[in-house]
Amino acid sequence: MEKILAYIAKNQYLVFTATWQHWYLFAVSTLFAILIGLFIGIFVTGEGREKIGRLVLTITGAAQAVPSIAVVALVFIFVGIGFTPAIIALIIYSLVPIVFNTTSGLLSISAKLIEAARGIGLTNSQILWKIKLPIAIPVIMAGIRSAATINIGTATVAAVIGGGGLGDLIFTGLRLQRTEIILIGTFLAAIIAILVDTLIALLEKVVTPKGLHISR
Amino acid sequence: MIELKNITKKFGKTTAVHNLNLEIEKGTITMFIGPSGCGKTTTLKMINRLIEPTSGDILINNQSVVDMEAVKLRRSIGYVIQETGLFPHFTVYDNIAVVPRLLKWDENKIKERIEELLDLVTLDTSYAQKYPLQLSGGERQRVGLARALAANPEVLLMDEPFGAIDPINRLKLHDSFLEIQEEIKKTIIFVTHDINEAIKLGEKIAIMDNGELVQYDEVNEILQNPENEFVENLLGRDRSLKALALEKTKNFVIQDGFLTAGLNEDQETLREKIRNSQSEHAFILDERGRLKGRKTLQMSKRTGKFELVHDSDPVVVDRNNNLIEALSKMLESGEHQLPVVNSKGKFVGVVNLSSIFAEVTEAETKKEVKGAQV
Repeated sequence: MEKILAYIAKNQYLVFTATWQHWYLFAVSTLFAILIGLFIGIFVTGEGREKIGRLVLTITGAAQAVPSIAVVALVFIFVGIGFTPAIIALIIYSLVPIVFNTTSGLLSISAKLIEAARGIGLTNSQILWKIKLPIAIPVIMAGIRSAATINIGTATVAAVIGGGGLGDLIFTGLRLQRTEIILIGTFLAAIIAILVDTLIALLEKVVTPKGLHISR
Repeated sequence: MIELKNITKKFGKTTAVHNLNLEIEKGTITMFIGPSGCGKTTTLKMINRLIEPTSGDILINNQSVVDMEAVKLRRSIGYVIQETGLFPHFTVYDNIAVVPRLLKWDENKIKERIEELLDLVTLDTSYAQKYPLQLSGGERQRVGLARALAANPEVLLMDEPFGAIDPINRLKLHDSFLEIQEEIKKTIIFVTHDINEAIKLGEKIAIMDNGELVQYDEVNEILQNPENEFVENLLGRDRSLKALALEKTKNFVIQDGFLTAGLNEDQETLREKIRNSQSEHAFILDERGRLKGRKTLQMSKRTGKFELVHDSDPVVVDRNNNLIEALSKMLESGEHQLPVVNSKGKFVGVVNLSSIFAEVTEAETKKEVKGAQV
């Protein structure tokens, strides 16, 4: 404990930068992953594209089993090292649960319900914004939540290809065999993860329409 | 008026509907019935263009639906499907308000309209802020009907709306549906696979099989003269019994052969009255003529004397019930005479088993005579 505090006191700037970088890596990649993921999920479940949607579901379902280090390594092969490749790797990896959940959430809405909406005169975009998305939002939010928390963990691995962040601290600690540095990195990453998870859980409650979690 | 002209629909190589011609009169309920895959739902969905016909034309009030913008057309036609068609994340109020809002109605006008509609489908205004998940199946179906009627469309398309409702509540919904239609007089096309529902609700029935129209006629005409074996099988063996569904109890109410008494009638006098009459019981009415109970003269097992037994909740028949419903109530309660009340609970007379029986016998004879002519 003393060693930890001593290290922080001595390397304040380093620890702060690493934390900030980590947060930045996480925030930028998650934001892009959400935007791209929602777009893909909505696109592949559009009117008449349900088959593509189911295919995407199978692919992303399987892709969730790919270890994060493999994605980081692949990005390294094709893009190289540095901050941008790290972001790219993180986006790709966190896209998977978002696309999976968005697709499955939108596909699980009963066809009868959508037909009713169309039958009373809603346009395709009204069906998407007023019916499909609000009903699928709990599932979509769950996807975003798991993507975000996983992303914080994956961001430490991204240090391998020069992404910086708390991963740098952890790997430095490993190399120098100094437990306190490893612990600082892990601990800070864990705090960010808990914080983010709580925030998204709150958001999830706010955006879920009342009628969906009510009972008689 | 809705006209279907030479309508054909092909899905790939299969023909779902083949050269269908049909004229549907304004203000009537027309039932589409047939086995699954006969093309009834496909035909219905072609009217609001959820499905586009391969060839042929559909006219509503002499205007071709193809010429109208699909979304506008649909907003002008009420559409009811099974209860699952309600949007779960919208309150009852917002569900009903969907089409008026699409049509950009003023919110005050929408509010008024919704109160009016909830009243029409006999739901309390407190239901407005409930969510579909908080309602029973029957209540959801009433909301579905209210939603379809929101913008006051002339035409209503109903696709097996009561299919998921249990039999008892379905009967109740049928009664209130007919009462509502008496008030609103819409042109209704109703798809069902239940022949009893078709007979009870329909004024005309269109029977379909394999994408073709087999018979299209008034209900009693179909019951009396089925076009072919297919229709006969669809109607079942108990056609004369089914014909009873066409007759309303109110036409068979009898005004004599029973006793009534006020709430404060002296017990002794009443007992004497019953003893000296043909009946075994008297119906107790309040000062406004509402049925409040029935007193029956029974031999008491304990004392061996005849005593008046009060039944505060006797079996009653609604005057809008059909004869099948009246008959089954008689069979269930073991009575050959039941009191008939109106929707406000007012006593209007009695219905006797013998009159129902006479009706069946008459229908049988009619059928035989027609058969003999052929």
